[in-house]
Amino acid sequence: MPSEPDDSGMDQFVAEARAFLDANATRAHTSDEVVWGEGEDRITYFSTDPPEVEAAKVAAAKAWQKVRYDNGFGWITGPSEFGGRSLSSLHDLVYDGLEAEYDVPDTAVLSLIGLGMIGPTILAHGTEELKRRYLPAMYAGDVIACQLFSEPGAGSDLAGLTTRAVRDGDGWLLEGQKVWTSVAHHAAIGLALCRTDPDKPKHKGITAFVVDMSAPGVDIRPLRQMTGGAEFNEVFLTDVRVPDDHRLGPVDGGWGVALTTLMNERASVGGEGAGAAGRAVGLPFLTELLRANGRLDDAAARRRLAELYADQAATEYLNHQALRRFRAGRQPGPEASVSKLMYAQNLTRGAHLAAEIVGPRLVADTGEWGTFSWTELLLATPALRILGGTEEIMKNILAERVLGLPKEPSIDTKSPFRELRRLGRAEA
Amino acid sequence: MSTGTGTTADANTTRAEASDAELTELRTSVRDFLASKADEAAVRAAVDSERGYDDKVWAQIAAELGLPALALPTAYGGDGYGLVELSVVLGEMGRVLLPSPFFSTVVLAATAIVASGDTAAAERLLPGIAAGTTTATFTVPGRAGSWEPDAGTLGVHVTGSGSGTEVVLEGTAPLVVEGGTADVVLIVADSPAGPTLYEVDLTTAGATRTTLRGLDLTRRIARMDFWDVPARLVGEPGGAAPVVARVLDVATTALAAEQVGGARACLETATAYAKERMQFGRPIGSFQAVKHKCADMLTRVQVADAAATEAARAVDGVPASPDPGVAAAVAHAVCSEAFMAVAAENIQVHGGIGFTWEHPAHLYYRRAKASQLLFGGPAVYYERLLHRAGV
Repeated sequence: MPSEPDDSGMDQFVAEARAFLDANATRAHTSDEVVWGEGEDRITYFSTDPPEVEAAKVAAAKAWQKVRYDNGFGWITGPSEFGGRSLSSLHDLVYDGLEAEYDVPDTAVLSLIGLGMIGPTILAHGTEELKRRYLPAMYAGDVIACQLFSEPGAGSDLAGLTTRAVRDGDGWLLEGQKVWTSVAHHAAIGLALCRTDPDKPKHKGITAFVVDMSAPGVDIRPLRQMTGGAEFNEVFLTDVRVPDDHRLGPVDGGWGVALTTLMNERASVGGEGAGAAGRAVGLPFLTELLRANGRLDDAAARRRLAELYADQAATEYLNHQALRRFRAGRQPGPEASVSKLMYAQNLTRGAHLAAEIVGPRLVADTGEWGTFSWTELLLATPALRILGGTEEIMKNILAERVLGLPKEPSIDTKSPFRELRRLGRAEA
Repeated sequence: MSTGTGTTADANTTRAEASDAELTELRTSVRDFLASKADEAAVRAAVDSERGYDDKVWAQIAAELGLPALALPTAYGGDGYGLVELSVVLGEMGRVLLPSPFFSTVVLAATAIVASGDTAAAERLLPGIAAGTTTATFTVPGRAGSWEPDAGTLGVHVTGSGSGTEVVLEGTAPLVVEGGTADVVLIVADSPAGPTLYEVDLTTAGATRTTLRGLDLTRRIARMDFWDVPARLVGEPGGAAPVVARVLDVATTALAAEQVGGARACLETATAYAKERMQFGRPIGSFQAVKHKCADMLTRVQVADAAATEAARAVDGVPASPDPGVAAAVAHAVCSEAFMAVAAENIQVHGGIGFTWEHPAHLYYRRAKASQLLFGGPAVYYERLLHRAGV
């Protein structure tokens, strides 16, 4: 890549990372070659592991994060006073690329929400004490964090949340219900958005708190997904006491805190090529699926395969383009949002193409390799168009922020939050 | 733009590379030029003219901007840049639907000449193409418009007369891009050695050319009838297949850049209209039904842009790029689909006014469909993609 900066410091970093990985992990056996009928017959996207298996995976994730951290690769971009390495996002990216060549535990349980979103939020808005208390522990893998944002009545309209926080001496009492809380059952802390002043407009009466998930009054109940597994939860908060020094940002200034979190939300929900699902809907695997089912000469099946592959490849090229912009130090474009939309659509199309090829053997488990196993992915794909911002909200964002189209006229951004329900009913 | 900012050593040639800043500068200068010389009124005037394009603008593109020379080899009067740079120019031309022999001459014909490896032909033809004094085109007269040089199926063949490198052609090439005005045609014809590339000088030889009624008003297509027409061998007898393969990779990649330019113009027009058109007391772009249409258009344009860019880099041999055959096929499919979809949605966002002759939306719709079908259309390009990807 001609635009890659010539950075001798980077060479040193790469050598160091390589040495660390060689000493602490084994090289992954990577091959695009698909041998039909061999290997585990699972196409997982969301975990459906039994609790003891899940617990072992969480322990392995924490242990690997600890090894990374102890060797200076746990928080590459973080400030050194909180255990980080004070290096650029490019170093982070380079490290991720190197680590992908090795067989290491999946640390998503820590990184997706906690290290990727909550950590940067605490760093941006937390007091010195809060940062010292939590950041090193989080990036060392000891503390898993979750995001207590969505509520039954506040999904896409997050600022409509109603969980209350009321002053109680030198602290606050939290009362309400959160939902779709990934990893809450493993988390030591959660970042909660609460209504602190219902007499202000909805965005202006919210405050953010760091909540101890083991505090009295925190009740975590698993939510079973349509896949059968339970990766996320409902979290009930009943008179949960939070000291004021665990407030993040100013009182009623929580919306700004939330925006930091949302900006850090990995817009690409996961690399398309990564994981069992990405591999399953990739060209080599789907080609073998067609071959195994005698459909490789079927014009209709070939056409669908080609259409899907064209979009998958182009989405990958879009990610390359974003990476080049990033490396050249240019402002990111809308690539990440577009990539997320495409990723969800591509995976969904792949699952449905496979379903058509497999046919009735997807209806019930005949025991034949590479048939009923597609149900897992098929059942997971609807979530991809919802999580991390629904498709409809993503399109609003693209149209309004990138194309500059006008917002819909709204009644709810200026009136006091308390009056919104009444106003809404009156309109109806 | 100065040559030699960076160079990549190829087997035979050294390709000049423009920096990001130079690419931006190139884009700006071409866009400014076209804004003053090829606005909608000028494009429509060219469409209604006898040749189908404005000769003066073509002369300026060559003499003042030097664009035909941009991606031609330095040995033959070119600047030695590649498709990455050429794509910037084509994107701008596609944006305004410039009627011009640029694509047929610089992309189709020049690529065929270079790919043939025939240095005598290159010396004969490329300096004139680089200078803009020669217009040319390239055609594979396959059955039903196919560009596959399958032996025995071509509409033009070599007759018994003629000898050595000088032959005589007869037959019909039904769909030749800008064939009505080109000075030279590079044509693949059946010969005893198999499909072979020939050069026909149209300024002296007696090919009959008929400009056809076209779907795309901004790019003309002609039929060429050959009856005892002298032609000269280019490259090796029977050697057309790899030349056609190379031309298709380059031309579909170049076309992709042009399609992205056209698609972006449609997106911008639709978005601007959605902001200003008032119904029910507010801009129609504030309604999610319209807003999401525009977001879908943006998504398609972004993905198409990335695909065209990646293909140009791959065909130029930029390190760490994907296989050029695959990337070109991906770009051709994705950009064809994107331009078609966006050109169609542009009309829907405009409503009734978008369906009028006076509105430019139909010019883009016409170009989008004609470009999508030019090299065979979806049935062909999806199969080509699978083939290039090894399926």
